[in-house]
Amino acid sequence: MAVEPFVLVDCSLARRAIGRNCSNLRELLDAVRTVPDAVLEHHMLRCPLEDHFEMYEFPNDLARWCWEALGDPVLAEELGLVDPYKETSIAGLRSTLIDTIEDRLWGQDRIPWCRSGFELHLVASRLVAYDTGERIPTPAALVETVERMSLRSLFFHVHEARRRTGGQTDDFSFWLEQFDTCKELVTGLREIDFYFLNLSQLHKEILDLFQQHSFVPTVT
Amino acid sequence: MKLLDRYEEVVGHHEIQRLYRLAERLAGKRVVHVNSTRNGGGVAEILRWMIPLMQELGIDASWEVLEGTADFYRVTKSFHNGLQGLPVSLKKRDYDLHYEINRENAERLNLHADVVFVHDPQPIYLPQFTPKDQVGRWIWRCHIDASRPDRGVWKYLEAALPQYEATIFSMAAFTRPVACPMFLIPPSIDPLSDKNCPIPEAERLETLTRLDIDPDRPMLLQVSRFDRFKDPLGVIEAYRLLKPYHAGLQLVLAGGPAEDDPEGAEVLREVLDWAGEDKDLKVLLLPPDAHRDINALQRSAIVVLQKSIREGFGLTVTEALWKGKPVIGGACGGITLQVHDYHTGFLVHSPAGAAYRIRYLMRYNDKRLRMGQNGYDFVREHFLLTRHLRDYFTMVLSLDRPEPDSLVV
Repeated sequence: MAVEPFVLVDCSLARRAIGRNCSNLRELLDAVRTVPDAVLEHHMLRCPLEDHFEMYEFPNDLARWCWEALGDPVLAEELGLVDPYKETSIAGLRSTLIDTIEDRLWGQDRIPWCRSGFELHLVASRLVAYDTGERIPTPAALVETVERMSLRSLFFHVHEARRRTGGQTDDFSFWLEQFDTCKELVTGLREIDFYFLNLSQLHKEILDLFQQHSFVPTVT
Repeated sequence: MKLLDRYEEVVGHHEIQRLYRLAERLAGKRVVHVNSTRNGGGVAEILRWMIPLMQELGIDASWEVLEGTADFYRVTKSFHNGLQGLPVSLKKRDYDLHYEINRENAERLNLHADVVFVHDPQPIYLPQFTPKDQVGRWIWRCHIDASRPDRGVWKYLEAALPQYEATIFSMAAFTRPVACPMFLIPPSIDPLSDKNCPIPEAERLETLTRLDIDPDRPMLLQVSRFDRFKDPLGVIEAYRLLKPYHAGLQLVLAGGPAEDDPEGAEVLREVLDWAGEDKDLKVLLLPPDAHRDINALQRSAIVVLQKSIREGFGLTVTEALWKGKPVIGGACGGITLQVHDYHTGFLVHSPAGAAYRIRYLMRYNDKRLRMGQNGYDFVREHFLLTRHLRDYFTMVLSLDRPEPDSLVV
């Protein structure tokens, strides 16, 4: 049976301020308890779309804010290790975050505050995805496409795909699975620790992996 | 050649194709933008490129301009100041005048549209006086930091907002809670405008010679109005702290003349006094249309400063980053979104901090160049007009189809 071509999708975020910000750890805890799901989704899962540099040390906004603005490296490290893709729902993610922050707050004599101007402004977002019209017929063509793909498409086909599939797979490996010659590549793609990487790093890692496979023409 | 094709050279063929694909979902929609002037100011600058590009993308876009009296613009200038948090004193008749001019304009302007974007406070009461069936959706686009407004001004403007389906602010820190959704769309620069396009080397050198700047010695630059919030004296202090380590260093403070701005004129006098007889410190008064001169200066600087104490989004920072220059910025407003320590420059909190970070960048040439490249890439990805259009389209699509959380169109 012929394999259906890969459908290339791009996406963009509609971001909304919710009119609420946090200046200290207690406010963060209260926010994590009460904000709409779309806010946690934005600050924990969609931040790679706004993350620009390789040197950022933490993969989500909450960890980064605790490190940079609150000056609480312990909590930053703990929040950095919370992997939202391991959670089956936002409710589960919320519960983990509450537990982590509450535990830290419990042992504090003084509530950490940020300086004025460094508040965490809470944002909700909605992902709007659209078909680019591009159809990719072969694994070799996929390599060429990934090379010039927007980082937003990469986010949709890796991060968003993991959300859609309950953490199981990205769209690339799901499609490549249909080709007998791609078994190793599929395994390699699924082993990438994508949450730890920013989108540029992920892009490079995927291209490197493609290049290691014989069916793939050399990418220059 | 289409206008959009010219941007392919900057953002790539596929990025432009994606924009077409996204815009297809809105094809034929009638969109009207309303503001208070066709010339001058950041909003008019944006609309000048946005309208033709939206039209090329298949959207029936047009631009309507409010007409008002001198007294009306005096009142709206106070609104502007009041939104930014300056205390203003307006009387009931001033508010009545604003309301009345909005009523007159609602009868005159062509506002039949699926979506009307109302820019800033001047036309904010148009929905009040427009028949309900004329406009599908009203959206208020606030370009001002409205987080700590004057109470009286805010109360008056806030009363207009129930007519709107959504608002747009440049960043979350500029918002204050309102009843309708507050979308976030940062501004952008046009990479092909006179202020941002590539310029020939000969022109760059000619500009420096004409402005009496030595092209062979390092130059620091701040481009801004002569305004205390931009801290020009702090910039001079930072330069003086550096001079013992870099005898050849030059500083250029470039801004507009300040004849019609009494406070600006006073600040300019202070700056000139403070600059004294230092031949390496140039205070330039450039005309409002000296875009290519600004471009040449930004491309010639070794480091660009925007040492503001209070700032809007800070598009001068975006412009400098686009030219591959690390920026030393005051930690306020939109500067904090653009200047990231060790990536695109440094956020600083004092003249000493500015001097220290510049000294670092002058010592480590490779880091300075890498941060410059980071800045260019960062602006290319996030602050060009193509992203700006994409954000507008995404927002309208999101409003058109309110459910579910993730939307495939």
